[in-house]
This record gives sequence, C-alpha cells and structure tokens, in this order.
Amino acid sequence: MSELRIGAVAYDPKVVTIWEGIGTYLREEAQCPNEVQLFLSYPAQVRAVLEGRIDLAWNTNLAYLQCEAWSGGACRPWGMRDTDLGWTSHLVAPKGSRVRTLGDLRGAKVALGSRDSGQAAILPVFFLGREGLREGRDYQSLRFDTDAGKHGDTGTSEVEVLKAVLDGRADAGVVSDPFWKGLTAKGLLRESSMQVVWTSPTYSHCMFTGRPGLPESVGLSFGKALRGMRFDRPAHRAILEAEGLREWLPPHAEGYDDLRQAAREQGFFDRPQVRTIPAA
Amino acid sequence: MLAADLEIRTEDRDFATGALVELLEAFRRLPEGGVLAVVGRAPLLRRDLAMWSKLTGHGLVEVAETPQGEVRCAIRKGEVPPDTTDPAGPGERLWIYTNFHCNLSCDYCCVRSSPLAPPRSLDRARIRELVREAPVLGFRAVYLTGGEPFLRPDIGEVLADCVASLPTTVLTNGTLLAGPRGAALRDLPRDRLVLQVSLDTPTPEGHDRHRGAGSWERAREGIRRARELGYRVRVAATLPDARSREEMDRWLSGQGFAPEDRLVRPVARRGLAQVGLPLARGELVPEVTLTERGVYWHPVGADDEDFRVLDHVGTLEEAVAAVQGAWNDERLTSRRLAEVFHCA
Repeated sequence: MSELRIGAVAYDPKVVTIWEGIGTYLREEAQCPNEVQLFLSYPAQVRAVLEGRIDLAWNTNLAYLQCEAWSGGACRPWGMRDTDLGWTSHLVAPKGSRVRTLGDLRGAKVALGSRDSGQAAILPVFFLGREGLREGRDYQSLRFDTDAGKHGDTGTSEVEVLKAVLDGRADAGVVSDPFWKGLTAKGLLRESSMQVVWTSPTYSHCMFTGRPGLPESVGLSFGKALRGMRFDRPAHRAILEAEGLREWLPPHAEGYDDLRQAAREQGFFDRPQVRTIPAA
Repeated sequence: MLAADLEIRTEDRDFATGALVELLEAFRRLPEGGVLAVVGRAPLLRRDLAMWSKLTGHGLVEVAETPQGEVRCAIRKGEVPPDTTDPAGPGERLWIYTNFHCNLSCDYCCVRSSPLAPPRSLDRARIRELVREAPVLGFRAVYLTGGEPFLRPDIGEVLADCVASLPTTVLTNGTLLAGPRGAALRDLPRDRLVLQVSLDTPTPEGHDRHRGAGSWERAREGIRRARELGYRVRVAATLPDARSREEMDRWLSGQGFAPEDRLVRPVARRGLAQVGLPLARGELVPEVTLTERGVYWHPVGADDEDFRVLDHVGTLEEAVAAVQGAWNDERLTSRRLAEVFHCA
C-alpha cells in the first residue's frame, strides 16, 4: 500500500498524542504506511479532502456530510467509532423551573452551542422545528459560538450553555448526551438539580471520509486495519480510551439523514465562499 | 458575616427541590459585582452552591453559620478578572502574620486587627525555624505582616532572622517608624529589607477617614524616616474605586516612587470591610500564609475559616504540601470539565 495521507483536526493538544498513536499502530502493526496531517479547522480539512490533498479525513458528522454533498457523493465513508452511534441531545432546565415540557419553550430563552455543532445547535434547532418550535418566532436563542470551525468538538460551547442555564441567562439549554453524562459521572453536577425536558431522536457522529476517487480497495484495507485495534491490548487501549471508543466499526451511513436535512435547511451545504487576496 | 445586597431563605430546600430556581430569580435582580446571600438548612445546600459556583464562575465568597444553625453562603455575581500585574507564582512568597494586634482601627482591615484584637503572635523561635526552611523549598522572599509588626518588642530580632534567610518585606502602617520602635531598623541590611507602608490617599482626609485621625501624617513621617535610613520603601494604597486608584498612582509617581514601589489595589471585602471586591479562595493564586492558628491559602483571608487549609503550623514543608493539595482540589473541576468531552 502506498503512503496514506490522513487528516485530523487538532481541537485539543491531546489530538497530537492520539494520532501519533494511531499512525504508529497503522504503520508498524497493520502495515499501512501513512502520514498524519493536522488541521486547525474542519473547513480547512474538508477543502483538503475535496482537493485530494489528503486521502482520508477523520471528520465530524457535519464535515463528512459536507464532503459528501460538495463531491456529489464521490467522498465515501470508511469507518467510525462504536460511540459514534446512537447520540442524542438533551434540552435541560433547572429542577422546578417553569420549563417542564417543550410547550413551555414558547417565549423562553434557549442556550445553544456553536452554530456549526451538530449536537448543540444544528440538530436541536432542526428537531425543535419539527416539533413546531421555530427559533426567533417561538423561542429566543442564546448562542455560544466559542469554537466555530471545530464543529463543537472542544465542548467549550456546551460548557457555556450549561453555565447560562445555571446562572439564569437562559431558561433552558441544549447539550449532547456524552457531555451530560460526563458532568454527572465526574461529580460536577448533581443530576437531580436539573431536569431533562426533552431528548432528541438518535443520530450518528464522526466518520472517516475518503477523498473523491479513493480506490475502494484502499478504503476497505484502511477500515480493516483500523478494526485491528483491540481494547484488551494495553498499548491500543490507551489510544482508544483517549479517542473515546472501545472498537472501530465499519461505516453505518444510516444515522445521518436528519443532520443532512438540517444542514441543507440551515445553509451548511451552500458552497464555501472563495476569498481572493488582492494584489498589493 | 459578609454584607449582602440581596438575601434569600431557601429553608429546607436544596437544588433538587427548588433552591436553584429561587437562586436564579434573585440572581437576575442582582447587579454585576453584587453579593447574594443564600440562607438555608438543607444538608446538601452548601455542596450544591459550591459546585454551582465552580461551574458558573460566580464566586462563593463566604460560607458561614448563622446563630440559628443555618448555613449562609455569600455569592458574588460575576467573575474576577485575572490579576496580571503580579509576577509571583504560587510558592515564591512566604507570608507570616507576626501578630494580629494593631495601633490603628482601619475599617476595612481584612483580618480584623485593632488595638482591641488579641495579639495572637507567632513566637520568634517558630518564625526563625520556618524561614530557615524557606529557601530549600523554593521560596524567594518572606513577607511579614499583621496587625502592626512594629508593635512587637522583638521585631528587630525577627527581621534579622528573616533577612538572614531570604529578602524580606515588612508590611507596616508606618506610624511607629519615626518613634522608638523605629530603632529596630538601625542595624539591618538595607539591601535585604523592604518596608511596605500603607498610605491610601495624596491628602490626609481619605486616609484618616478609614484609618484614624492623624494616621496619614504619621505614616508620611514614617516613610520619610525609613528613606532617611536608606531603606527601599514601597507604598501600598487600598482604594475602592478605579478613579481614586489612578489619582493615587499618579501622585506617588510624582513623589518619586518607581512603578515597582507603587502598589495601588482595590479593597477586598473580607474581615471588617463592608464594601469592596468579594473574593473566593479559588479565585486567588495561593501564597503560603502562616499565622499562629495554622496555614492559610492567601494573606487576604488569614482570619477566615474558608481560607484555612491546615489547623496548625508544623514544618514549612507540611504547610506547602497542604496549600498545594488544596490548590490541586480547586483546579480539579476545570480539569474534569475539560475531560468531559471526548470527540473526534
């Protein structure tokens, strides 16, 4: 196999450690020569995939769907984590507050995460719309675009959502299920002090995305190599835990339909503007 | 107890049974920088408020018990901007409260010192043992404070012990330096001792209103005397508003005090102060502080239980470990929050 160019977004310093580990595993144990390239944002990584500057990208759900949409389906999915299946988002409010059902959101202020976060903004706005609640008409939003370009990966916007609900700037807010469970599991919040008003339908999260024209044999070999990582091997386990999974899976493409529709409606598939730099 | 702008009584309710909503309703009415007191009997209320404060950044600035046995938590609305003016990190400065009695009764004293306060002194031998340990543990300077250190008959010997170990600064109201107590300064090395004298305003009125009639003149005389003796003098002013702080800083500059010898800061709402900036322990970088009652997080709260990290003074190594342990606990929340999210 010729050297694969794999992209990932460095949303946190730990990404370097994780990808040194995965790159070394692929090269030394799975005979998959590779070079990992780190990007500072998903828009930059998506451009690199579409222009064929990298072969595979470790993408958020939105970045995967943008690659798919802008390549006319030529960018295909090749692998995901077990933990990317079955995500949900929760609308949460202080226990005892007036917001107890979705109907109570009328006239309320709802905190949302970064505008390009599938879990904390795009899908919640879409799902609430499906329940007859439109942003700006039925409820006011308080948006925290703290990690724009990172598609919500840093989690900082969800922290801001939680803070806004906890100190009364918002009546309710939307956070993802992993974030919510992490808060209570780590003892940062007593679950009974808040109420989950509503939980979204399930959706899927990250996906390895191939460049247009990536040979099927290469994509399949890469997916098979990834799935060779074993949680019961200490060296692999450290990497898998850092990346938040127990097992790599073949791509399950069916959990993205809602986000595909939501992203289209909210303008995330509009062609990115090309900025030209004027001559001096 | 800390003065509050608003107070709510949550009775036997905690966050799971309605107290959070009550808190938020009051919080919306509270101005930025204001203090809300939450008084209640629920066993989990204190824990709920501590977690809430760490998550939201609004400081839990005091936890006290009322005479009726209820818990009273004071919360300041808004985060404290980080202090970027002080280059010292944790562990560089060792603070020692030599004594708590004072010849002045300043109405914003953060440790409640006055002529009526019990002396509460650390004896000279203990201070000597502690400062001898300090250089090995990485401290770079000793700061002596009180109370008024120059009320101690043995202040000259205490200062001599300190400067023998590390460069030393002694905080004083300056009023005793021109009198017989100033004799303690006669034979000390000028390059190892700095006198930090409190002087709040360019003219006597503002200073004397808070510290007592005639205290400004005596402090000025003390500064003059210390400079005559060849000591470096740093002036520390404590002022409630930014405008008066700017005015004082300009005046000190005109009096020939270099920027590093002008310390103009806001009033901390601690101790006797009923106004000023309420501060929570976790919002301050810790500086190991010793009093005869134990080890404290920072000198500004050296008479407050919420700042005490150890109830005795043993070795300095033990004191450093206690502060470091408390510092690690404080930072745990933000570390856990960062770990909550595992994504791409």
